[in-house]
Amino acid sequence: MSSSDSNSSSVDDPNPNPKPLDNQLETLNLEQGSDSIVIQNEDDEEGRQQDQGSSLNGSLNVNSDNHEPDDRIGLVRNVVWRRTNSEMEVDVNGPSSPSSSGYAGERGSSGVSEDDEIQEVAKDSALHGGFDSQAAWLPGKRHVDEDDASISWRKRKKHFFILSHSGKPIYSRYGDEHKLAGFSATLQAIISFVENGGDRVKLVRAGKHQVVFLVKGPIYLVCISCTEEPYESLKGQLELIYGQMILILTKSVNRCFEKNPKFDMTPLLGGTDVVFSSLIHSFSWNPATFLHAYTCLPLAYGTRQAAGAILHDVADSGVLFAILMCKHKVVSLVGAQKASLHPDDMLLLSNFIMSSESFRTSESFSPICLPRYNPMAFLYAYVHYLDVDTYLMLLTTSSDAFYHLKDCRIRIEMVLLKSNVLSEVQRSMLDGEMHVEDLPGDPLSRFGSASHLGEHQEPTDSPGRFREPFAGIGGPAGLWHFIYRSIYLEQYVSSEFSAPINSPQQQKRLYRAYQKIYASMHDNGNGPHKTQFRRDENYVLLCWVTPDFELYAAFDPLADKGLAIKTCNRVCQWVKDVENEIFLLGASPFSW
Amino acid sequence: MGCSSSLPDRSTGRLGGLNVSESGGVVDAKNLRVKLVLLGDSGVGKSCIVLRFVRGQFDPTSKVTIGASFLSQTIALQDSTTVKFEIWDTAGQERYAALAPLYYRGAAIAVIVYDITSPETFTKAQYWVKELQKHGSPDIVMALVANKADLHEKREVPTQDGIDYAEKNGMFFIETSAKTADNINQLFEEIGKRLPRPSST
Repeated sequence: MSSSDSNSSSVDDPNPNPKPLDNQLETLNLEQGSDSIVIQNEDDEEGRQQDQGSSLNGSLNVNSDNHEPDDRIGLVRNVVWRRTNSEMEVDVNGPSSPSSSGYAGERGSSGVSEDDEIQEVAKDSALHGGFDSQAAWLPGKRHVDEDDASISWRKRKKHFFILSHSGKPIYSRYGDEHKLAGFSATLQAIISFVENGGDRVKLVRAGKHQVVFLVKGPIYLVCISCTEEPYESLKGQLELIYGQMILILTKSVNRCFEKNPKFDMTPLLGGTDVVFSSLIHSFSWNPATFLHAYTCLPLAYGTRQAAGAILHDVADSGVLFAILMCKHKVVSLVGAQKASLHPDDMLLLSNFIMSSESFRTSESFSPICLPRYNPMAFLYAYVHYLDVDTYLMLLTTSSDAFYHLKDCRIRIEMVLLKSNVLSEVQRSMLDGEMHVEDLPGDPLSRFGSASHLGEHQEPTDSPGRFREPFAGIGGPAGLWHFIYRSIYLEQYVSSEFSAPINSPQQQKRLYRAYQKIYASMHDNGNGPHKTQFRRDENYVLLCWVTPDFELYAAFDPLADKGLAIKTCNRVCQWVKDVENEIFLLGASPFSW
Repeated sequence: MGCSSSLPDRSTGRLGGLNVSESGGVVDAKNLRVKLVLLGDSGVGKSCIVLRFVRGQFDPTSKVTIGASFLSQTIALQDSTTVKFEIWDTAGQERYAALAPLYYRGAAIAVIVYDITSPETFTKAQYWVKELQKHGSPDIVMALVANKADLHEKREVPTQDGIDYAEKNGMFFIETSAKTADNINQLFEEIGKRLPRPSST
């Protein structure tokens, strides 16, 4: 994702220039120093370690502009650590042969950049004829026949691994965990090598690849990626993967390692590949994964109130959380007194439910753990699909509450049917989110004709709207898309995609750009930015952070800056006008 | 089974709550209502047996059960009694093994399933029988089911082994195929016949 990063406020780069920008980006990262440092030392211990290795043949250096095919890292058995300018480097002992447990991304492919990845996605989606990135994705683990000796495995853009502190594989995004035992052991060796020096390895950068490490007690998580996502984003993704594991097993799994350090955890996670692969897939389409907020299905205020009222009734009868969702969007949600649900837990819970097909066949009662609520204990989740996309989750601490929850569900379902909530939910799914084309024209004329979501007027009924029936044409001033995140509510709203952000690849690219700008805005090192205006060959991105909300907007790359800023103001006004319908208001406070 | 720590202690009896009703599940002499639990290793076809019995469907794509699914089905026996089975289809994964008491406590019937092509699942079935003998209701009716009987060319567990084991443990034995529907209804009818009738009759 080449872009001209400008981390200072309101810098406009009028001259996008793809090729050198890549290099510029890397230099820039280095200049910013502390954040992109390859290894963050808690002390200076490595100084002693690296000199043990002597040969430096073909060592990769962040400073090098070397983007040639031999741009590879090998987490090979003979890894040599070396330190220059406070950077740790990995030294590869010659080109890795398939027999070594080496990892080489982009081997032999020249001119690789994200196009490669996009082709891969395009291939997948073409296969299934999908348009929407969610629809195009096939659940389940693919490429199980691969291992670290496979060329195809090495070429994968983004790997995720979970392993135990003794080096036993627990999960790998690609390939068979058991065949990756050698590779896992290598990762473990790297982590403990640094730990033995009283330090902790967070990131290794080698050419285009980043290797991000996260240590959670006896569980190690590693991401190897050449997607140019920021370190903070990749680390956040590892945190979510860990959270997903806790949701399935609770943190008490650590005790298994206390009893037996060589404990093999894979059987405990049996059948959950699909849960992890679905979570990893959501990193490229679901902004909740980096916004730490949830999104609601747009509904008329009264409709959502009706759903909330019945959920409230059951929450009073000993249900800890009652959650009604449609796909990944919240219809309504109620917590018992003083119980609050973290948006990340909601993300992990809904991912778990949606990716496990068995919940769709009948009502279920399953132990689950909410890592942010209490990572040590199971809750019990009664789950029932009310229609193909809409499901009810009733969470309780009591393991014998099934029949009570079943009764609750029958009551809830009756009320929802009677008050037409379910049909409204269906309609809202078809209507989609806010459309940038509908952005009210003049802020002053919004009274009377303001577009209210969930009221289902024909677009022509409202003079302020001019919606194309199928393909959007983009909004005023070249506005293509926006995400608005309410900080107090911990909720966000994301506009429906419209032309030209149509394909899953383009949507993924935009999310990655948002993710990057989010990371730069939330970077503690540089202080909180208030606004950021960034122009590259793909978009103009405008980001605006206030104590109340954050706005991320994407415009045509040729958009006028002044107009774009005005348009952002109008978007914020628009969101405020319809907040009754797009957000869940007045529920118990979710501030954690 | 490292995940048992947050469970209430078995001996406290707190897990007894998934009973059908206080009266042991019996509505009256002619209309029985019973709790049935399916146990067995993952992938032996527990869900397929239930879905074949309850909905007459067979889905060859494997859908891993999470926790336990709850389904019910009523059948009429020849002596004109009806039996409503409230079925707990449990997940076979190891991580749920520690949670099994939650589902089998108070069950009148346990159906223990193995796959005739996999000796490991037969071993696992024996584990469940022992577990139930130790912790289940003393008067529980147990059935040993050898599933995937259609895959006889891949059979690795001889029928006689199943019969012998069932006999030794006072169980009812049947070979089934959820795929071909072979013996599925018979399984539940046989169970219905073996249910203890309320003494009032």
